[in-house]
Amino acid sequence: MLGRITAIAGNAFREAVRDRVLYNLVLFVLLLTGAAVFIGELSGGQERKIIVDLGLSAMLLFGVFIAIFVGVGLVYKEIERRTVYTIFAKPVSRGEFLVGKYLGLCLTLLVNVVVMGAGVSLALIYVSGGLDPLVLRIWPAILLIFVELMILTGVALLFSSFSSPALSALLTFFIFIIGHFSRDLKALAVSMGSTSARWLFGGLYYLLPNLSNLSVITPAAHGEMPTLAYLGSALLYSLIYVVVVLAAATLVFSRRNFK
Amino acid sequence: MKVTWTKPDGLLLLTIVIGLAGVVGVSRLIDSQRYVSKATTDEEHLYLNGPTVKRASLGFNGLVADWYWMRSLQYVGRKVLASGQGLQLDNLGTLNLKLLAPLLDTATTLDPQFMEPYEYAAIVLPTIDVQEATRITNKGIAANPSSWRLYQHLGYIYWERHDYTAAQQTYSQGAKLPGAPAWMEAMSARMAVEGGSRGTAQEIYRRMYEQSGDDKVKEMAKRRLLELSALDLQDGLRGTVESYKSQSGKCPSSWQELGPALRSSKMKLDQTGAPIDPAGVPYLLTNDKCEVKIDPKSEAAEKR
Repeated sequence: MLGRITAIAGNAFREAVRDRVLYNLVLFVLLLTGAAVFIGELSGGQERKIIVDLGLSAMLLFGVFIAIFVGVGLVYKEIERRTVYTIFAKPVSRGEFLVGKYLGLCLTLLVNVVVMGAGVSLALIYVSGGLDPLVLRIWPAILLIFVELMILTGVALLFSSFSSPALSALLTFFIFIIGHFSRDLKALAVSMGSTSARWLFGGLYYLLPNLSNLSVITPAAHGEMPTLAYLGSALLYSLIYVVVVLAAATLVFSRRNFK
Repeated sequence: MKVTWTKPDGLLLLTIVIGLAGVVGVSRLIDSQRYVSKATTDEEHLYLNGPTVKRASLGFNGLVADWYWMRSLQYVGRKVLASGQGLQLDNLGTLNLKLLAPLLDTATTLDPQFMEPYEYAAIVLPTIDVQEATRITNKGIAANPSSWRLYQHLGYIYWERHDYTAAQQTYSQGAKLPGAPAWMEAMSARMAVEGGSRGTAQEIYRRMYEQSGDDKVKEMAKRRLLELSALDLQDGLRGTVESYKSQSGKCPSSWQELGPALRSSKMKLDQTGAPIDPAGVPYLLTNDKCEVKIDPKSEAAEKR
């Protein structure tokens, strides 16, 4: 089973590379180089903070677009080209297919995030004129950005397992937005007068991914790292959420009729 | 692969080139006819307050805070340039910087640990809106209770307002925090005894110069230190003139007459024998040569 998933994941990664997904790295490098050179004059001596904020935010934003737009096409393209028939003619289950596709895109995002992280580190070394403590301190935030992208990829895959790419992209983007409003949902649930409304918003708070818990870019720009306990909890939460989303996607996809 | 150009391709290329040229031309025409708004309508209030922007920033709040911070700097810089005067950061009350407080407030709401906007609020805002300066700095203290530098900023605001009791209490509170330097406690004691003295002012600006990471703030502190040092020298020169007058019964007609006394006091003199201020400009002997003044054109002359 592992061999089949690895083969599909490797193929999905190669496909993303062939689709020139990693070209966004060029844009990222240009953005960071420009910022490193020019931001010093505009920021009143705050270039290190701004390099981290800009670099990690761009990393998240680029990653979100890749996760959404590539993620929603992962399954759809196979169905559209009818290559899905060839795959399922072999001893590959629909669950293995989905997990393989998911891991392939996650690998693409990992490469993307690691290269971008290295770019931010180099830009920091450039503006600081040497090794800067921030160079190491931003990596927990980068790990959590990757984890956030893993969740979004899972969500995109779930929607694309039963919906059109355009609608899936829209829904996933909504989830990204609502995911960053999670704390407001909880506050809303607490402040609601009626029990049913409290249950509804409380339920939504737990059902939708709490992406604001994974967002530590701002503290990272001040050199603050999350505690190991927090990092562990965030990783565990994300792992469980991804498993749930992939299970749901497999459930829907296994009932889908391709005729 | 051989690329062949057909007639329609050429036509399309020509259309693109002519079209782009047309866009440039029309844009320039629009720019030249653009309605120039009045200064009063130019500055609208910020549409969104800090908490709303924070919600809408979707986890990019650090980046949006940077944007608001840079916008604050550009806003102040543009106004200073437009005024055509070499105003210092702590003397911008005449520039109608009404958007500065909301901009800094939004930046610090988005990123409460961002220290530079608090420093800017403490130094620039008091001459514009002292209540807002105090409120934003207090907000910073609430969000960063272990940061002694915010107490330094708040103490500075109170000292500027001549509220030496509040300044003394603020420095004292800051001095108790872990990592606070010993001079915070000394500053507190000094506020209690001689809050309004020149020595206290020198100590405040010296510490501001040492601690600030902002070049403009450093420049302002350096300028104030220069002015205070020029005033110290001016007092010394007045003493020299007074003692000459009491000994000879008349005012000196020129600095040369005071030459021996000036040389013994180790004053820096120019080629004509006139004492020079810390900016290198000679002091003036005025009012029938009995009054010593700093040349208004000197960098060391107080321009507040």
